[in-house]
Amino acid sequence: MTAVTDILHLLFTANLWQATLAAAVLLLLPALGGVISERSGVVNIAMEGMMLTGAFFGVVADLAWHNPLAATGVAMLAGALMATVHAVVSIQFRADQIVSGIAINIFAAGLTVFLVNRIYGLQDVGHVGQSELIPYINVPGLDQIPFLGKVLFQQNVIVYAALIILVLTHVVLFRTRLGLRIRAVGEHPQAADTAGINVFAIRYGAVITSGLLSGLSGAFLAIGISNTFVPNMTDGRGYIALAAMIFGKWTPGGAFIACLIFGLGQAIYDNNSIIHVSPYLLSMLPYLLTLIVLAGVVGRSTPPAADGLPYVPGSE
Amino acid sequence: MSDSQAIAVDMRGITKQFPGVLANNQVDFSVTRGEIHALVGENGAGKSTLMNVLYGLVHPDSGEILINGKMVHIGGPRDAIGLGIGMVHQHFMLIPVFSVGENIMLGREPVTGPDFFDRARARAAIAELTKAYGLALDPDARMGDLPVGLQQRAEIVKVLYRGAEILVLDEPTGVLTPQESKELFGVLRDLVKADKTIIFISHKLKEVLEISDRITVMRRGKVVGHLITKDTNEEAIATLMVGRAVLLRVDKAPAKAGEVALKVDNLTANSDQSVPALKGASFELRYGEILGIAGVEGNGQSELMEVIAGTRRASGGQVLLAGRDITTMDANTERDAGVAFIPEDRRGTGLVLGFSIAENSILGRERAPSFSWRHFVLNLIAIRNWALRLVKEFDIRTPSIDVAVRNLSGGNQQKVIVAREIGSNPKVLLAAQPTRGVDIGAIEFIHRQIIKERDNGAAVLLVSAELDEVRSLSDRIAVMYEGKIVSIEPPDAPEERLGLLMTGGGTRAGAA
Amino acid sequence: MPLGSVLLAFVVDGLLVGVTGGNPFAAYGALLCGGFGFICTQGENPVLQISNTIVFVIPLITTGVAVALPFRAGLFNIGAEGQLLAGAIACTAIGIKFSSLPSPILLPMVLIGGMVAGALWAGVAGVLKATIGAHEVVTTIMMNYVAQWFLRYLIVGGPLQLAPGTSKSSPIGAGARLATVLPNDNTLIIFGLPSSVYRVHTGLLIALAAAAIFAFLLWRTSLGYEIRAVGQSQKAARYAGVSVRRTIIVTMLIAGAFSGLAGATEIAGVDHNLTDKYFSDSTGFDAIAVALLGLGSGVGIVLAAILFGALHAGGSVMQADANISGNLVFILQALILFSIAANFVGAIRQRIPGLARPPTALPPEMPPAAPMMTEAAVPPVES
Repeated sequence: MTAVTDILHLLFTANLWQATLAAAVLLLLPALGGVISERSGVVNIAMEGMMLTGAFFGVVADLAWHNPLAATGVAMLAGALMATVHAVVSIQFRADQIVSGIAINIFAAGLTVFLVNRIYGLQDVGHVGQSELIPYINVPGLDQIPFLGKVLFQQNVIVYAALIILVLTHVVLFRTRLGLRIRAVGEHPQAADTAGINVFAIRYGAVITSGLLSGLSGAFLAIGISNTFVPNMTDGRGYIALAAMIFGKWTPGGAFIACLIFGLGQAIYDNNSIIHVSPYLLSMLPYLLTLIVLAGVVGRSTPPAADGLPYVPGSE
Repeated sequence: MSDSQAIAVDMRGITKQFPGVLANNQVDFSVTRGEIHALVGENGAGKSTLMNVLYGLVHPDSGEILINGKMVHIGGPRDAIGLGIGMVHQHFMLIPVFSVGENIMLGREPVTGPDFFDRARARAAIAELTKAYGLALDPDARMGDLPVGLQQRAEIVKVLYRGAEILVLDEPTGVLTPQESKELFGVLRDLVKADKTIIFISHKLKEVLEISDRITVMRRGKVVGHLITKDTNEEAIATLMVGRAVLLRVDKAPAKAGEVALKVDNLTANSDQSVPALKGASFELRYGEILGIAGVEGNGQSELMEVIAGTRRASGGQVLLAGRDITTMDANTERDAGVAFIPEDRRGTGLVLGFSIAENSILGRERAPSFSWRHFVLNLIAIRNWALRLVKEFDIRTPSIDVAVRNLSGGNQQKVIVAREIGSNPKVLLAAQPTRGVDIGAIEFIHRQIIKERDNGAAVLLVSAELDEVRSLSDRIAVMYEGKIVSIEPPDAPEERLGLLMTGGGTRAGAA
Repeated sequence: MPLGSVLLAFVVDGLLVGVTGGNPFAAYGALLCGGFGFICTQGENPVLQISNTIVFVIPLITTGVAVALPFRAGLFNIGAEGQLLAGAIACTAIGIKFSSLPSPILLPMVLIGGMVAGALWAGVAGVLKATIGAHEVVTTIMMNYVAQWFLRYLIVGGPLQLAPGTSKSSPIGAGARLATVLPNDNTLIIFGLPSSVYRVHTGLLIALAAAAIFAFLLWRTSLGYEIRAVGQSQKAARYAGVSVRRTIIVTMLIAGAFSGLAGATEIAGVDHNLTDKYFSDSTGFDAIAVALLGLGSGVGIVLAAILFGALHAGGSVMQADANISGNLVFILQALILFSIAANFVGAIRQRIPGLARPPTALPPEMPPAAPMMTEAAVPPVES
């Protein structure tokens, strides 16, 4: 019973919700990447690997240049590079997209540790200085609103950026010509092709965008929330983002709601010092939540019709 | 050619080799501007490949294409669209979850602001087109909710919106009701009046004779004949298509109908979309007869067969097999009770394409005592012997029984199913579209097998979209409309009468 | 084809080592020594290296089977790791609780207990897939994390913890342990080391039996036939009267039992207690590569498991001898996966005139992965 009252108590603190939003954004960026990629018909379970690669190269660049903005750019590029591999393998070579995704994740885990050893010897990567982290910015005025100010307007730059990207993704997907074409390619590539749309270009663009967003999330994790790279530091967040995308029925808004739920689980875990329960049991929370959500709450959801199917021109 | 008869499409010496198949072999094909030109041939004759070449979806190994007298290179659909070529595919290139407007505009969307899809202009453009050609459509309807006829209309509007002057229609009537087909022909004639050129691909010779001006016949990748429609007839075209004289009629002795084998009483069931599709069908089927079900596709025939076969759940009513209630029985138990089922979708449901002939020959009977020990360990020798027997008896053309059925021709694939189902000596044979998409030789063979089963005393229930097939095979015809059997007719009932019944008319007169 | 893929992966991997300033030949030499006991330059004991490799190979075979079987049913079991942990946990719990029982009773108990736990763990994904269509890739990944955190809870401050401050469980009873192949004492000396050092255990026989059972089940039984039919075409299987749902659930239960068995043999044969080693265990993920590389045949899985087992055993030697991170093995594994899945070798062959062969399905007989969250597999694109 104490654990329950502890958690209830926690729910009324602004700190918890501030942490929830930050944790949610960490998941939201790769989840949005997943939405874009899968809307174009390419199954993407490689967000984990792209995020990890982004985190690593973000730290490397920040340590080298002492410039968090440039480092964030490098992280995004690194994520995009991994995404390009996934794109080439699954779009050009028509490989099984799940196998390719798993390979990316294994590859990223191996490569990052391998490179830590090659670049930094067998020691630690080292820590990024406080002033070289992606900054937290309080929005003047708004940050003074009781409760909400702390939750919404005392956040990292990436959090604000992510919320803008969220709105942008929704508008692009459902209001613009580009979005119409992305969805057409994901639903019926043959129809899109016969209408004169370049299916491959759209799919490449969508997959690479997912890499940019995952890399951004990796940067947020490594040089925003944390200040160094630790092997396997993404710890399954890419996979949870995948679940959030499905839970959100392949929509940006839905994915965001799912990310908030998972973020809340994470925030409660991070505050475990005041909850009298094993932190490890609490850690199971987001994953069990995902299972329960998949099992019952959302019911069956339908992916884009051509999700996961390689496109062979001229086929019917 | 005079100026008034300019050549719109001129394809010369088109050759295309696919792995293992020479799909087009030095094909010459030309279409005069403003005509309806039919391209006919059996499945696999190379019609679709030729048209995919014209539309840029397939790149030929050699040959050249002239459009309106100019040599062109068609690298992809975009080039084809730019040249005024539009294609209405057999399998519609429509996105069910998109609106009609979005579907029509796709690829040439009106845009406002940075990149926003302009719904107002889309609506206006569609309104203009539908008015010009008399093709009414609601641009805001969800495509997936429209009946097939309207979906096809949307395809045509889509092509016209892209400024097509040359329209290719691939098997356009395959999915239409007779009424919808008539409307389509009206639309096509209007389009020709508006100076459009139409290429009409079909294997239904009656339609071809009705709608076209000229005919090109293909067989095994080659052009084997150019015909002027008004100077030819069905037999002549069929002979060219098949390469030998074809018997268009089936020879059979009168039926010796016995006891009632199957009694279907007020049967109801839902479709895959969970809407009622079967709405109280009732009839009796006797041993030793073939009862053919005539009807426009989508009137509950598929659901009827699946419910009887045990692969779909009935929502009400009864099916009795020789007096025994089998309504809720699953497919396996029914097969054991002597009900065999040739499903309509050969590649999707009748066969496991990656399995060998031997493996497919026991599909659904893998736990039968003759093929497995204690319902668990497969008896590989028994399975081989069984498969070898079927291959021999049913003339399945294959190098070995270990060949994956994916690599067989459509006709031989269908023979594998027919062999598996008939080979087990069923009491009741359910045959759904048993000859769809197979070549004429295989059709003749399968027809003979079905009649042989009847003569051996089996009860046969036949569903076919081809009215001719139903009329020539059946001893009695049950007409199905909107999920019910509306009338039982003799096989020589006039086609007009059957057509009327199939579209919901004439039942009163029939009953009187 | 798989041989070419492996070769290609090694070449690319070697390039990576070279580019980052390492010596690929030294690295592969060390791998060969660590994996198979060949060409050892630093005085390593070849028999010990082979013994270590076999210890890695044993669970790889069993989990490889656990991935390969669902694969044939069109299911992607990414959850072999979680199922292995569940099996290891159950085996340990039973082995501690009934530690006084004699081996003929206790050993079957812990092994079967591990299988049941693994089966239940996988069964969750199977039931969710069969009833509501939740995609097994997502559910099995979630079950992996749940298993990992549950394990931490158990041995760090939880009911199985040996003593406060440690992160391991008490050892299982003597009766729950699998015999080693060589005598487990100091009477026999091999290459200057007592035979008790060589850890290769009789779980090897269990793993080989698992591979044999897998092959028999798949190709010689009606259940295997149904599994393959469901994997190729759910619709055709359903029309023929095969219960797709039951087949999916049964397949996952069997697969989970194999993974659980792998976990149990690890505890009973190697570790004898749960340790923090299992926090970072990756056997269940390596199993994916094993299953894909083994082309889903019993013999193929054993051979692929030997390859990856050797790589893992060799990784530590490589780190020591050539100063190259053992993580290179993961990169190699990913490259092999890419190479098999994308059939680069086949694509290269196509482009070299004279070597062209008709295109084959890639990888052979691999059912198309069902899109996320749908029960019915979408038929492959027809050309």
